[in-house]
This record gives sequence, structure tokens and C-alpha cells, in this order.
Amino acid sequence: MAATFTVLYFASAHTYTGKSEDAVPGPMAVSKLFPYLEEKYPGFRKKVLSSCALSVNLEYVDLTEDADKEIQNGDEVGIIPPVSSG
Amino acid sequence: MEKFSLGSENLDLRIRIAELEKELADYRSGAAKNSNANGHATHVLDGEDDDDDDDEQNGLNPQDQDDKAVKLDLDEFRRYGRQMIMTEVGLDGQLQLKRSKVLLIGAGGLGCPAAAYLAGAGIGTIGIVDHDLVEPSNLHRQIMHTVEKVGQPKVKSIISSLKRINPNPKYIAHNYALTPENSIETLEKYDLVLDCTDSPQTRYMISDACVLLGKPLVSASALRSDGQLVVLNNPPGEGPCYRCVFPKPPPPESVLSCGEGGVLGPVVGAMGVLMSTEALKVLLSRADKKKRRKPAHLSPDIRPADAKDTPKREESPEQKKFYMTIYSAFSDTPFRTIRMFGKRKTCQACSPVATITKESMKNGSLDYVAFCGGKGSGKYPPLTKDEVINVEEYNKLRENKEGGLLVDVRDDVQFGMCALENSINVPITTILTLPIAPDKDGIDGGERTPVPIPSWLPRDTSTPIYFICRLGNDSRIAVQRLKKSGLVKGNVIKDIKGGLWEWSRKVDKTFPLY
Repeated sequence: MAATFTVLYFASAHTYTGKSEDAVPGPMAVSKLFPYLEEKYPGFRKKVLSSCALSVNLEYVDLTEDADKEIQNGDEVGIIPPVSSG
Repeated sequence: MEKFSLGSENLDLRIRIAELEKELADYRSGAAKNSNANGHATHVLDGEDDDDDDDEQNGLNPQDQDDKAVKLDLDEFRRYGRQMIMTEVGLDGQLQLKRSKVLLIGAGGLGCPAAAYLAGAGIGTIGIVDHDLVEPSNLHRQIMHTVEKVGQPKVKSIISSLKRINPNPKYIAHNYALTPENSIETLEKYDLVLDCTDSPQTRYMISDACVLLGKPLVSASALRSDGQLVVLNNPPGEGPCYRCVFPKPPPPESVLSCGEGGVLGPVVGAMGVLMSTEALKVLLSRADKKKRRKPAHLSPDIRPADAKDTPKREESPEQKKFYMTIYSAFSDTPFRTIRMFGKRKTCQACSPVATITKESMKNGSLDYVAFCGGKGSGKYPPLTKDEVINVEEYNKLRENKEGGLLVDVRDDVQFGMCALENSINVPITTILTLPIAPDKDGIDGGERTPVPIPSWLPRDTSTPIYFICRLGNDSRIAVQRLKKSGLVKGNVIKDIKGGLWEWSRKVDKTFPLY
């Protein structure tokens, strides 16, 4: 297995990064993910990530409660910004 | 020739009469049989319906809520038969739908398809909140509104369309904007709420009201090619609310409406249709299922003779699970379903430490606009008089060949749709990446590496720079941002007020409005 996990960008996260996904070297603690992505995409955290929900392998993950949870290589992480239009 | 056509018309009519007579006979014999068998059939037609749209503000009687004596007439058996024969519906399910009162907030891209299917399914009472008028730009996705309804209130337009699908439900028009002050009063008469709105503040407000009133909430949204769907506060008091899922609102400058960000009709349509399915699921789960029989092969009474006895397992009540569905239309795997944890322990609205109350909503002390960062205020920088020019003045300059450098800051897709002659395209996203000049009194007076000047900027100080965009918002940001960059010195930098929209209205009517 590749030494990476996949990060999927939905909605405004997709718009901001211009990508639908990234391969990120793992394993990585949940709390380290947003700082990592901020470095890759400056301004991402304030403009998008701050309000996003996060999922690991289709399970909702809470940034504070699950901060120490380790994202394993091969996992699929979803960055889910709130969509409010309709 | 004329005789021939009269003759064939006569024949058609005779056939139709025969059909109708047969139908009537079937009705009569069927009615007799039904009323003997189970007493459900009745010839009484709902006398409730007035065809006058303006009469629908009359509200609901609280007694309706407990009307267990709801029955189906023969027309309804015919109309709903295709769904009633499903195990998930049945007669009890259909009666439950008829007893139900559903409120849709928003008669737009989500509300139109959701309402169409709920009306079709035979929900007893359907309320719709919206304060907007139908516009031509709605028609590509808001499928209950049609060309001749442009300019009408959306609630009036949608109800007249719904009546053409199904005249049976009672339709209630709430032709006003939902506010914290009126939300409790509006929602409390209904059993289930659908959030078909388009802004973060209304989403938090509706969720809070549903929590306070103990109403399940079907919430969906769509922008561009993305959609989200989640059933909240279901069952009431157990499921998570909108604040549990998204405790922090998105920063206001990142919030785009469908008008700003765009939306594909079928994407928002799909989300609306899915909302109606979830709504039916919630309502049907309340139907009296005791009468249901299991399919024969699962029934303990009918088993193959040689079947071994297995120890009886107590059926434990299923742990309720909560999910959010995400739709990304252009992805290879367009649908994903995320399993949610339940309620957030620290939720302001639905946890034991909640601070939001009915009173704080009713008296307006909850400021949802401020909570969401006050969209509108602070999003666009104020400019001075010298930084703004109106479209007529700019047109005069152009006619005198003094138009300077005209920079269109829309994205390349929109620029490709239509653009003013001699304008150049530098999207706002590019302008936002310009460097920011250090303060004059910088701490270090040392040498700085000079920042390369982008090729599109004039090298002389005499060429004025005018920014334009679709509506005149991004162009304001561009003016301020270019000034902050310190890359141009001495040039006039102005925003063309109201953008291409104003240009089309005041200067050149042949320029497309979109």
C-alpha cells in the first residue's frame, strides 16, 4: 500500500484547491491535518477549513474529540464544507 | 370531409362515454365492497378546498392534528394506489401521509421538486414559506415556476402548480420571510419541516426552531455541482441538529449564493427530490405498523417442516444511526454517505447545556446574521467618491477614447460568455494574489527584493485603471487590493459602479444580463 492517504475536497474546498483530491503522506494525527493543508494551500484554513466537517473512511470525525486519532495510510479523508445555497 | 370528421368525433365521444360509464359502475360496486369489508371507502369529497389562492392564509386548526378519522375516498385509492401497494406504505401509511402537515421553507430549486413529490404523494397539508418573486433566472431549475408566472410571488406560483398535480392537499401560503421572531409561530403547526433555503443564517435559525419545537428537519443544499442532504433532530431530541454537524458557520466572504456561484439545475433538483423521499420516510415511520404482516417465508407460523428450531432471539431495538449524503455530480463516484455521530455534547441548541430558548428566538435577541459574520457588511470594502465612476460617465470617457485600461475581474468562463470591447480579463482570484506593500514605517528599513509587476498593469502613471465585474462587488475589492499592493503609483484607479448589470441597463441594452 502506498504510504499515503487520500484527502477528498468537496464543494468550496474543491474550488479553493482546484483539485478533487490529494495524496497525503501518512500516518498523521487528525489534529495535524489542517496545519498540513494550510501550508500546502495558504489561506485555506481561515477561508474554508475552519467551518468544515471532516470524515475518515465515511465516518464523521470531530476535530477536538478525535484530535489524537491517527489517519492511516490508505484511508479516505473527506473535507466537507457546509453548502448553504439551494 | 366535414361530415367525416364530425362522424369520427362522435365515435370518440361514444367511446369515452362508454369508458366513463364503466368507471362509474366500477366505482359503485367497489365502494359497496370496500365499505362492507373495512369501512375505509367514503364518497365524501373533501369540501375544504377553495380555489382562491388568496384565501390560504387561514392557518391550521390544532384539532386537525389529532384527526384520527382521516379516510381515503375512491379517487384517492386510484391516485395513490401505485405507492400504497408498497410494503413501506400500505393503507395505514397513506392515511398517515394524509394526516401529516409538512412545511417547506423556500420555493426555489430545492423546494420546487420536493413540494411536487410531496403534493403528489398525498400529504394532507403543505405549507410553503417564501417572500420572493419568480424571476427568469429561476426557471432553469425551479420547475414549479413557469414563464407566465414571472413577477408573481413564488408561493402563489408554486401552489397553483401543485394544485395541478394534486388538488387534494390543503395548501398554505406563507408569503413572508422567516425571521427569528416569526419562526416559532410559523413552524409550530407542522409535523415536519424541510429546509429549502439558501443562506447559513436561515439554516441555523430553522434548525434551532425545530429543536425547540421538537420537529424533525430535512435539510439539503446545493451549489454548482455539489449537494448535501441530512435529516436532523430525528427522532426529535435524539438526532443531531445543524449546529452539531457544522458548529462553526462558514466565513461570510466564502458564502456564495446560486446567483454568485452558479448551480446546475438537475443537481439542486436531485437534492430536492431526495428531500421529499426523506420526508416521506420520516412520516411513514409514524404510521401504525402493528397490522403489518411479515412476508410468509419470514413468518414463524409458516416454515418448512424440516426446519430446525433456532433459539428465539429477542429483537433488540435498532440503534438509530445518522447519516449525511454528499453529492458531487462531476465525480466518478457521485454519492457518498457519511455516518454521523449523534448530538454534540456541547451543542448550543440541542445539548443539556443549550442556551438557545424559544423566548430568545421570539424576542429577536438571537442575531443569526451576526453569528454568521454579517454577510453583506464588511464583505465589500467601502470606497471613496474618487474611487467610483458610474456607467454613464465611464461610457462618455470611452467615447472620447479616454477609457484607460478596463480590467474585467470576472472569472474566465463568464468573461468568455460576454465582455466589453477592449477589456482585459484578470480574475479577482488573481488580483487577490497580488503582494501587499509593507507599511511605510516598516520596522526594517532595509532593501527589499522588488516585486515583479504583473504584465497587465500599465507601466506609466497616466493610464487610468477601471475595474468592472458582473454586479460591482468584486470590482470594489479589486480597487482596494490593487491600491494595497503598491504596484501602481499615481494612476487613477476606479470601480465602475454596478458593473456590467448597470452597463446593460443604462448604456447598452444589447449587452446580456445574466
